[in-house]
Amino acid sequence: MDVFLQQLVNGLSLGGIYALIALGYTMVYGIIELINFAHGDIYTLGTFFSLAVLTLLGVSGEVHGPALIGIVALTIAIAMLLCGITGVLIERLAYRRLRNAPRLAPLITAIGMSFILENIMQYWKGPSPIPFPQVIPNPTLHVGPVDIAAKQILVVVLAIAMMITLQLFIYRTKLGKAMRATAQDRDAAQLMGININTTIALTFLIGSALAGAAGFVSGVYYGSTWFFNGFSAGLKAFTAAVLGGIGNLAGAMLGGFLIGLIESLTTQFISDQWANVVVFSVLVLVLIFRPAGLLGESLPNKV
Amino acid sequence: MRLRVIALLCAAVVSACSSTTTTSSSSTSSSGQTIKIGVDLPVSGADASIGIPTQNGAVMAIDEANKNGFGGGKFTLAASLLDDAVQGKHDPAAGAQNVKTFISDNSVLGMIGPFNSNVAVAEIPLTNDAGLVQISPSNTNDGLTIGAAAKTLRSSKPDQNAYFRVCTRDSSQGLALAQFTKKLGPTSAFIIDDNETYGKGLADSYEAAYTKLGGKVLGHEHITANQQDFKALLTKIKSFSPGIVFFGGNTSTGGGLLRRQMGDVGMSAVPFIGGDGISDPEFETTAGPMANGTYFSVAAPDATRLGSAKTFVADYKERFKSDVGGYSANAYAATKIIIAAIQKAIDEDGGKMPTREQVLKNVAGTKNFATPIGEITFDANGDTTSPVLTLQKVSGGKVITVDVITVKN
Repeated sequence: MDVFLQQLVNGLSLGGIYALIALGYTMVYGIIELINFAHGDIYTLGTFFSLAVLTLLGVSGEVHGPALIGIVALTIAIAMLLCGITGVLIERLAYRRLRNAPRLAPLITAIGMSFILENIMQYWKGPSPIPFPQVIPNPTLHVGPVDIAAKQILVVVLAIAMMITLQLFIYRTKLGKAMRATAQDRDAAQLMGININTTIALTFLIGSALAGAAGFVSGVYYGSTWFFNGFSAGLKAFTAAVLGGIGNLAGAMLGGFLIGLIESLTTQFISDQWANVVVFSVLVLVLIFRPAGLLGESLPNKV
Repeated sequence: MRLRVIALLCAAVVSACSSTTTTSSSSTSSSGQTIKIGVDLPVSGADASIGIPTQNGAVMAIDEANKNGFGGGKFTLAASLLDDAVQGKHDPAAGAQNVKTFISDNSVLGMIGPFNSNVAVAEIPLTNDAGLVQISPSNTNDGLTIGAAAKTLRSSKPDQNAYFRVCTRDSSQGLALAQFTKKLGPTSAFIIDDNETYGKGLADSYEAAYTKLGGKVLGHEHITANQQDFKALLTKIKSFSPGIVFFGGNTSTGGGLLRRQMGDVGMSAVPFIGGDGISDPEFETTAGPMANGTYFSVAAPDATRLGSAKTFVADYKERFKSDVGGYSANAYAATKIIIAAIQKAIDEDGGKMPTREQVLKNVAGTKNFATPIGEITFDANGDTTSPVLTLQKVSGGKVITVDVITVKN
């Protein structure tokens, strides 16, 4: 039983990382129905940017007190900003021209962008794993029989907070309304005076900035990174977004947590090598019975 | 329809990622006909930290031969350097492609490599068929030279063996590690491997040897490629309270992260032991401070502690401005063997361009050949008759040698 509870904690924190990436995936899909494969690499880029900021600030170990908040806030802010700009640039340079092209063209372009980013990162920091400084002190809380590390709480809280903020932004602000309108019917939205290009760029800005924040968190959480990190994490996050209902923010978070939990419980009760098999079997089952995902609405078929 | 697009995409991504990137460079000199020795090792990505020093060993042997009058001025030796890492990791398909490149180049008379056993599995059938002699500095999987697995690899020409290695086999490595674990004290072990040819082979032979010696194996788990989070697995392992955790695999396939995350789940005090796959500096970088308390074997003698390797170690340091890697001396020795075989063929044939067949015959006949890692004699399977391995430990952020063992195959 103790081990079961501990595995729930492990699963939730792993799921939190997936959820953070999945939020951005799902946002972009929601608005232009593009599976942005470069998203996983923007996430890794977030770790790289954070590392660069920390190096500039001369931080190489734990920081305490008010300085900690300042440094973490500054690092996350810069990483989010730079990742956001990267996302907007990618949209402007690669995807915008293909907006009215056949669907496969932007998809292949997205895969190409993913390779470009990976190779830029490989050129930048070399192909080997890079250690990431443990900025945040990591005391372990003993809750009954379960050990919870501060890092694990950080991941879960951040994922939930980001999801709620985004939800509020999309449903309570004017810009959010513009996004929803663009998602529903691009031409009609344009006729109503919504600037489509700005709205889509904004979506990429927010989605990629989220990946930047996730990148920082993952650096702190795992203590190391490398240029190829985004590939498998991105694939899992994409699965999470599909499982929860792609285009749906709460679904992305739910999907992330579910995948994390399935992985850790499979590892505990079956075996580590079966974790992926079980995750993807669950995905297939869910899609058979609920083709739009767990929380997805069944929209009229656009594809 | 949307579903179909998604499925299609997943397939597209997976296949797109198996693309091959190789870099090639060769040093050519002016005098006479050029004879090439192919070198296929992983020299980029997570394997680079151990692959590059190994490549350096081979390059050094070739340069020395040219300087010391190889081929009597009629021939010049050159290295054809290829990389079998794709997206930062050793890749069997890339290795096979490189070997095909060597085979199609008539001036390549022998090759060094590969570094990893699963790459060797993809390469041996090709070199066996072409009769191109191949010596690996570091492959340790048993099935490459002995048993039914080796027979399958040589099935296109069963009477011919073109594959040799200068390091020890996993059955010896697993045995040595099991004996060492016993000496260290723990009475129970949990075994993890990376499900690759090398990792699983080593883990299985360790498990068998450790059980035979009276140790208790609490469980054996396999991790998957590109896995980053091991907390769930380690939480499970912790509940067994093992005396030691064994890992069969490489740093690049999860060894470093596993050790690092043992700290996260409160297993800092449990020692970690593995084979030569985690003997690279990358392991210490990835595992961070948790690297301390790790034991590993190197399927080669520690060159810095061998009298016979003194000149080699000094020359290497002067030439490359860095310390020798765990397999630099092995690659140097392997290259020397091929060079001697080519030289012998030239001498016997009155200065004509030797054939691959002659070179292969001469390598197979290698007997008491003096190298920095000791005298090498190949048996009929392509194994050396007296392999040596080194046991090392990470302590206080430094790697120290704890034992040097000679195993009898």
